[in-house]
Amino acid sequence: MLRYIIKRLFYTLPVLLGISLLLFFMLRMLPGDPAQVLAGQMASSEEVEMIRHQLGLDQPVLLQYVHFLNRLAHFDLGRSARTQNPVTQEIWARLPNTLLLAVLAISLACLLGIPAGIISAVKPYSWLDYLMTSAALFGISMPVFWLGLMLVLIFSVTLHWLPAGGTGSWKHLVLPSFTLAMFVMAFIARMTRSTMLEILSQDYTTTARSKGLKEKVVIVKHALKNAMIPIITVIGLQFGMLLGGAVLTETVFAWPGLGRLIVDSILARDYAVTQGAILVFGLLYVLVNLIVDLLYAVLDPRIRYD
Amino acid sequence: MKQFRRLKKLGLYGLLLAGLCAAGIAVPAQAEIKVLRIGIGVDADTLNPQEQTTTLIQNMCDLIYDTLFFQKPDGTLEPRLATGYDVSDDGLTWTLHLREGVTFSDGSAFNAEVMKQTFDRILNPDLRVPLRFAVSMVKECTIVDEHTVALHLKFPFAPLADALSMTLNAPISPKALEEYGEDVRQHPVGAGPYVLEEWVQGDRIVMVRNEDYFGKKPTVEKIIWKVVPEVSTREAMLRSGQIDICYKPSPANVSGLKADPNVQVDMPLDTRTIFMGLNCQKGVTQDKLVRQAFNYAVDKEAIVKKILFDTAVPMDAPVSPIVFGHKTMDKQYPYDPDKAKALLDKAGFDYDTVVSMRTPNGRYLFDKQVSQAVQAYLQAIGVKVELRTYDWPTYVAGLLKPLEESELEVFLLGWGPLFLDADMGLYGQFTCEVNPPKGLGAAFYCNPEYDELMKRSRMELDNEKRKELLVEASRMVWEDCPWIWLHVEKFVIAYSQEIQDLVVTPTEKFYPTYISKQ
Repeated sequence: MLRYIIKRLFYTLPVLLGISLLLFFMLRMLPGDPAQVLAGQMASSEEVEMIRHQLGLDQPVLLQYVHFLNRLAHFDLGRSARTQNPVTQEIWARLPNTLLLAVLAISLACLLGIPAGIISAVKPYSWLDYLMTSAALFGISMPVFWLGLMLVLIFSVTLHWLPAGGTGSWKHLVLPSFTLAMFVMAFIARMTRSTMLEILSQDYTTTARSKGLKEKVVIVKHALKNAMIPIITVIGLQFGMLLGGAVLTETVFAWPGLGRLIVDSILARDYAVTQGAILVFGLLYVLVNLIVDLLYAVLDPRIRYD
Repeated sequence: MKQFRRLKKLGLYGLLLAGLCAAGIAVPAQAEIKVLRIGIGVDADTLNPQEQTTTLIQNMCDLIYDTLFFQKPDGTLEPRLATGYDVSDDGLTWTLHLREGVTFSDGSAFNAEVMKQTFDRILNPDLRVPLRFAVSMVKECTIVDEHTVALHLKFPFAPLADALSMTLNAPISPKALEEYGEDVRQHPVGAGPYVLEEWVQGDRIVMVRNEDYFGKKPTVEKIIWKVVPEVSTREAMLRSGQIDICYKPSPANVSGLKADPNVQVDMPLDTRTIFMGLNCQKGVTQDKLVRQAFNYAVDKEAIVKKILFDTAVPMDAPVSPIVFGHKTMDKQYPYDPDKAKALLDKAGFDYDTVVSMRTPNGRYLFDKQVSQAVQAYLQAIGVKVELRTYDWPTYVAGLLKPLEESELEVFLLGWGPLFLDADMGLYGQFTCEVNPPKGLGAAFYCNPEYDELMKRSRMELDNEKRKELLVEASRMVWEDCPWIWLHVEKFVIAYSQEIQDLVVTPTEKFYPTYISKQ
């Protein structure tokens, strides 16, 4: 198992290298000059030239990439063009916030989405099922941005129950994590429902029932456990969506996370920070999928990674 | 003699200010304000005043460092770190008198040496000073005595005192510079009314009162600048009482905010003009008649009312009404599609050519929508217009191409002078030397006669005569129409009904230092 993990971690290196290569050149292909953005609208051309030189952007692109890789090998992501802080510092200041939000959202999505899916599957085509599936459809169709603003309108402006944005207490987490969870929750509920429906019609479920097991045991121990593999796969894949959703959620709720940092950096053409932050997103995504693969083995003893 | 009068005026304003401030706190029952929370759209990148280009962050710097002069909303200067100035007869030497007994918040003294160091830094080509151009006429700064410095100029520049009121010239504590070097941008130490307490990146900036401030003691103990990028959330936070001041709410919601009994909205006229640049050296817009026709074709009143919800006013001269040197032009370009058509016909305009129009999206208030409206107005008189939208960095890159490579025909842009003088608008947009790629005068307006007038205005130290020159230059460019003259923006700021005496300036800044609460 450990060998497998090490091997997989080793494999992430070419993936990250690929990401870095694509990112590096894609960013530089975007029109717009970082030095000009930094210097502002009124600066003289000499000033812009000086900043370009300071940032090393007057060197050939290939040479810039070599420098970038060299620094990366020393775990140095360079300095932000905007704040001139080390990129690692910029990322560290925000990563915990994004992770907290993502983990909360995923947990919330599982806690609500899986039971909803089970209820739907156990009582298919009942009013309860219709309610759950409509709710799920609603959750998938609703733009994160809009949902966030509606929640702010209801719970902050009208009811004064929760803060509209910012950080500070657990109360600040409620609206953003719920907003972020909504989309993923809907996906999980739908996946749980369809997988459970399929499993509940399998022979071994009938056998379990005919053994005289209680319905609760049949559903949770026999059906749900077998349904978990596709569900977990969905969760792993949704994690990417979650990071994307974090960009919007963090903006609406003034949450100082990595998603917002990426947007701000792209708009300012802050190459170093954009590269660094997206690389971290890439790494997170790869790691989450590794964890998902490992969970397969836990859930299904037939899967072995030796 | 004139300088003397101006100095006397300065002193008088100082007294007046003191009086006003005293009046502001005359009610003894008024308690101090413990915390003031301000919702803003972006986090600071650097708190080094020499590096900063964003008005909002300069505003923060002003509170930490204070400036040499403070330009009041009416354009007059109030002495701060400098108490006055004299100008030599040839206009080439400006003597600055510095305030005595001022210390930075870390205890180091403010004197002529610090001021010289500040100018040396501003003029050092190896340091990042994007707004250096604003004082680039200064050749060097020399020490006269402990509290006096002399600025030696390359050429006379009449509005220098106004330029000195900019955040750009705020001195940084020499001790902090020695300790932190260029990292001083994260560890700002100045002589202003506030001291940085905490800076949580992407989240908030906290300032506390500088108990040793040389001026009157600020009424607000602590200021929290809360970063809330989404404007709707910012407004929601103001309405639900989580913040006290909301920076730049959306124009669409101004009437809604005004209707809220707990909220008040201030919107003074800004220095920023929004316009459609017309390429004067390439394409169909080379013809002055066409450019004038375009001006008659667009209903600027309607744009201001229907799209901007009255958070702007139509331009009546090439610069904002609040700057020195502005005069409402005798000739105006009212909405008159028939006249526009007649002018186009007179110019022999080819209605089959497709005119390309460009606009940024989200840089200025409803920029894209304004462009769409202008497009529709031009199409209404039979001009074919194709509109393209760009994000800001891409857009600027397109504007800055030299004439040979430039594909610009019609483009939306804004220009916001940093002090209340017409020079930055008239010189910075319409002289030959700011044509791209050297500057952002992307209409490629180049008229030697006009340049001559502007150069003379810079040498003219007599205010009345200088104003005449600026108005004459305005008339010339107004007639030539390098722009479709659109509108002057207002600076919108919404805050709690309880707050009184918030100082809001036309350069998009605001100072809560001496506010009171009901």
